[in-house]
Amino acid sequence: MTTYIVSFALGIFFGFALNKAGLTKYHKIVNVFRFTDMAVLKFMMTALVVAMIGLYTLRGLGLVTFPAPPATYVVGNLVGGLIFGVGMAMAGFCPGTAAAGAGDGKLDYLIPGVLGFLTGAAIYGLTYQQVFPAISGIANYGNVVIPDLWNLSSFLTVTTFTLMSLLLFYLIDRMGWQRKEK
Amino acid sequence: MKFILNYIRKDEWSPYVAGVLLGLVGIAAVWISNSLLGASGAFENVVGLIGKAIAPKAFDNMYFNFIMPPGITTNVILLVGIFFGSMIAAATSGTLKFRVNDDAQWKQVYGPQLWKRWLLLFIGGIILEYGAGIAGGCTSGLAISGGMLLDPAAFLFIAGMFASGIVTAMIIYGKRY
Repeated sequence: MTTYIVSFALGIFFGFALNKAGLTKYHKIVNVFRFTDMAVLKFMMTALVVAMIGLYTLRGLGLVTFPAPPATYVVGNLVGGLIFGVGMAMAGFCPGTAAAGAGDGKLDYLIPGVLGFLTGAAIYGLTYQQVFPAISGIANYGNVVIPDLWNLSSFLTVTTFTLMSLLLFYLIDRMGWQRKEK
Repeated sequence: MKFILNYIRKDEWSPYVAGVLLGLVGIAAVWISNSLLGASGAFENVVGLIGKAIAPKAFDNMYFNFIMPPGITTNVILLVGIFFGSMIAAATSGTLKFRVNDDAQWKQVYGPQLWKRWLLLFIGGIILEYGAGIAGGCTSGLAISGGMLLDPAAFLFIAGMFASGIVTAMIIYGKRY
């Protein structure tokens, strides 16, 4: 029961953040692929930097152990991402933002959107045996994180990622690395 | 205090502020429940339930028995939480309203027909969920949750997603890209 309450509470704040970042809107999502509105990228990178610093600090202090990270199998992660990007740029949502968009009242997301995800899940589950074992067998590194895989200092990896993100934010906001809407 | 309340009521926050909130949620998930956020898995759990009810033979396979067992999992609860969290957020900014086809840019690109929007969202949902299945997660479960742990899979997924997303947008937008 407690785990359910925790999951629900995490979902509430997650959905709240998605909504306030504007990610329940079609134009917000598609425009990141057109480089005319970089809010999605800024939102994601900020979340990554904050969570990364927090989690690696907690791990360094011995306060948390990481849950198993999603498995790395190079071709599958990449091909899955390529398929995913087509749907995302076409429809302007993804599973999480569809749930959030349905929550703020978009019946387009609640009805055909959810039905689409359920249909996709069924097709995937029914073809899993034919597809997944083969593709996930190629260049499979298991459940690893970059500092452990390449034997890098966690501190330096997180610092590098943070500085790269800040540089990117600077280039977008101050150097005009964003296209004008036509 | 008043400033904070006024900010909460704003329709759209700075993506940096919203991003900090999401980052804190990501930390909380690991710290409190040793779990990761995710969204696409929930649809698999739910469709397993439906499938086993209406076509038990077809859904009696390795995937729905062992890999993604059907049920109201914590993933499903999290997704329901996202739904209500966004509803609360929309209520604070006064934009909560049941509506269809409300995006001006969508209508410019695809036209005003509702059936077209519903069809494209349905097909988009199928493509997204299938891609997430192969990749091992979606924007939440792989890009954010994996990325914050510095998981190589997350960055491979993000690279693929942006590459094909940019090409798809170019094709759809044509001269307007």
